[in-house]
Amino acid sequence: MMVDNATVRRLSEVLRERLGPAVRDVKRDAADTLRFVLDRGAVRAAVTALNDEFNARFLISAGTDRRPLSGDYGIEHLFSIDREHLFVVLECAVAPDDARIDSITPIIPGANWAEREFRDVIGVSPEGHPDPRRLIVADDWPADIHPLRRDVPHDCRPEPAVGVRQPLADPPAGANVFAMGPFFPVLEEPSYWRLFTEGETIVGCDFRGFYNHRGIEKLGDSALTYNEIPYLAERICGICGFIHSACYCQAVEKAAEIELPRRAAYIRTLMLELERIHSHLLWLGIAGHILGFDTVLMQVWRIREPVMWLAEEISGNRKTYGMNTIGGVRRDLPDHLVPKLLEVLATLEKECVAVRDAIVGDTILHARAKNVGPLSNDWAKRVCVAGPTARGSGVAIDARIDHPYAAYDEVPVRIAVEQEGDTWARVVVRVNEVLEAIRLMRETVRAMPNGPIVAELAGEIPAGRTAVSVVEAPRGEAVHYVITGGDNRPYRWRVRAPTYPNLQAVPEMVKGQNIADVPITLGSLDPCFSCTERVEALDVRTSELRVYTHDELLRLSPWHRGEEPR
Amino acid sequence: MSTATLTLLALGVVNVVVALLLAPLYEGIMRKLRAALHSRKGPPITQPYWDLAKLLGKEDLRSARGALYTLTPALTLGAVLTLALFVPMGARPPLGMAGDIIVVIYVTAMSAVLLMLTAFAGGGPYASVGGSREMMMLLTVEPVMAVALLVGAVKARTLAVSGIVSWQAAHGPTLSTVIAGVAFFLALQAQAGKLPFDVPEADQEIMGGPLIEQSGPRLALFRWALWSKQLVLTVLLVELFVPWPRLGIFPADLALTLLKALVVLLLVALVEVVNPRLRIDQAMGYYMRVAFSSLAALAFAVIGM
Repeated sequence: MMVDNATVRRLSEVLRERLGPAVRDVKRDAADTLRFVLDRGAVRAAVTALNDEFNARFLISAGTDRRPLSGDYGIEHLFSIDREHLFVVLECAVAPDDARIDSITPIIPGANWAEREFRDVIGVSPEGHPDPRRLIVADDWPADIHPLRRDVPHDCRPEPAVGVRQPLADPPAGANVFAMGPFFPVLEEPSYWRLFTEGETIVGCDFRGFYNHRGIEKLGDSALTYNEIPYLAERICGICGFIHSACYCQAVEKAAEIELPRRAAYIRTLMLELERIHSHLLWLGIAGHILGFDTVLMQVWRIREPVMWLAEEISGNRKTYGMNTIGGVRRDLPDHLVPKLLEVLATLEKECVAVRDAIVGDTILHARAKNVGPLSNDWAKRVCVAGPTARGSGVAIDARIDHPYAAYDEVPVRIAVEQEGDTWARVVVRVNEVLEAIRLMRETVRAMPNGPIVAELAGEIPAGRTAVSVVEAPRGEAVHYVITGGDNRPYRWRVRAPTYPNLQAVPEMVKGQNIADVPITLGSLDPCFSCTERVEALDVRTSELRVYTHDELLRLSPWHRGEEPR
Repeated sequence: MSTATLTLLALGVVNVVVALLLAPLYEGIMRKLRAALHSRKGPPITQPYWDLAKLLGKEDLRSARGALYTLTPALTLGAVLTLALFVPMGARPPLGMAGDIIVVIYVTAMSAVLLMLTAFAGGGPYASVGGSREMMMLLTVEPVMAVALLVGAVKARTLAVSGIVSWQAAHGPTLSTVIAGVAFFLALQAQAGKLPFDVPEADQEIMGGPLIEQSGPRLALFRWALWSKQLVLTVLLVELFVPWPRLGIFPADLALTLLKALVVLLLVALVEVVNPRLRIDQAMGYYMRVAFSSLAALAFAVIGM
């Protein structure tokens, strides 16, 4: 890898100099990953140093219940120093009888949700957090059960608790509440934006989400094995599932030092770019629809359809390909498909250029997208947004360049960056990325080497290794962090989807905007919440499918049990 | 009864039948065009009739009480049908009188006002936002229509719709009436609630605005009223600003008018398909500019151009 050892040395020196003996240990987890084991009291100082001196970008925090191993909880903050192609992990041990750690959100606003999440799932409280409300657990989840602790089984169903529901923020004096959600037509998935409005102008907002939290991380470290998880990971997202299975596989491969065969790397690159194309086109259609421009929706989805057929020919499925496995891919690209693939790409490119020209020339689209939902370069960096949301605000980050994976080292990307930070800039970035993805797919097919598509695995995956892996999803970079375990499954599997940081930027983006601008501002992030629209229960013994009725669901609700409705 | 009264009565029946029974057909054709430009097959052109039949057969649910709220759907449709009686359709208007263009302006506004009252009565936030947007649109679109009508009135030196039509038929187009016709056409886009001006309904933002709490028969009547209004105003446009050729044979003139209305509504549908929705301030700004331009037409009319 291209990590400069001088940087690694300087990093260690600066942190040791600033923190002194609070730096217990410095480890090199992998060529591109540096780990600092710190006293928990030094975490803020360390973050400040990383922020000031190295321009490090916060990725995510992971809380781990290490009581069976070392008798404590582990809190890890993951950072990326993009220019240096380096990941930095700050690790702190937290004693179970004093489960607290200093919050880093006052320094890095983008850590807001991550810290609330480890408080919810592990029970380590971030002290000094500006908004310490519960985040991901359900409204009736008991306050003393932390689902990712090792002693909580994955199928734990506690009695619904009363009176633990999170208070929603009150509107400022004189403002009204305009509810967008929990179910709102253009959001497609449940999420609750309470917009505080004066007339049609937004003066603030509050968010409640995680309505469909599916406990995927918990299943990964308690119920599934290494080789089963890719199929679950793929189901994290209904649009960019391949990204998540690839990212997970990469993390395990890195931890276990499995070398990916080159052909497999190329096939992953091909599928990742294919997924980017269909995801961006899907998004473009929806963005058109949000503005009432259904012609864009219909035409763009029409030109997207051959991409789906192509995915089906390669993998057997339009979506959720099931192609990734630890050490490679499960399906090869047959030679006879190559001419067809190139043909589809040629047509697609022509039609995408036509769409781009039509969009760029539409004055009303300009009026609806320019200066709408502005995200300044500074705030984009501080909230640590990713993907086109960051690139639209002039933050030139792209995991394919900063942390090359799969075959991106041999098929380099031309990054698309715009400076304005408004909805229009994000549109332009994505439209350019579609054309770039088409070019990349062509290059990938042209340069694809022959050879095996799966690595021979030599023995068990050793326990206690860690790895950070990133993949540039269409919405931004997905982060998977794995701590390997002894029973053929990860001890901890942490996933960060790109929408997680991106949504945290929304309150700033909608402030001062019009109600009419909120759907497209949100839409311009290409948000991806989760994908269940109704509750279905499948009895695995009888294969009987049953859909809950409205009344049955109502009986299950806290409201029915006598709590006040919101 | 005299023959004249009977004729007027017959014309009245024709106008109401056109406004009520043909309006869904026009909507169906517009949907078909939309679908074609979307590369879709689209619903059959009779779909709006089925929509109405289905909605009319549903349970009547109401989100507010009060006599006015109960009556607003019927009153809205009534207002539109009244408007239909003041509009010439291939012959003179059944309810023509001196100064009736003022009535036309009022009655056109009435259906929008009733929709607004319905929106505010429910008290829901989406409907309220929709209601206030409806009001803002009304305040900027009505003046455009009024100025366009006034241009015709100045040219024909009469405040009666039938007088303007016969003057137009006799004298042919002038600069001022052409500008006024274009302004009226632009106002029609908003009056018909079509993109880029469907701001008060804006499905993706406020989920139908004033109509969000309406369902079943009430929704059917509102829909029907909006479709009728779109057709009646289109007929008014073609009668006032493109009345040529006037054959003098009623069925032929009526057929010609309806054909011209179809062309105009297809244009409206075309504009709708190729545009995204404007924001309320942008839509208002647009109509302010149109209103000022149509004032130029008025000036031309005054100096006889």
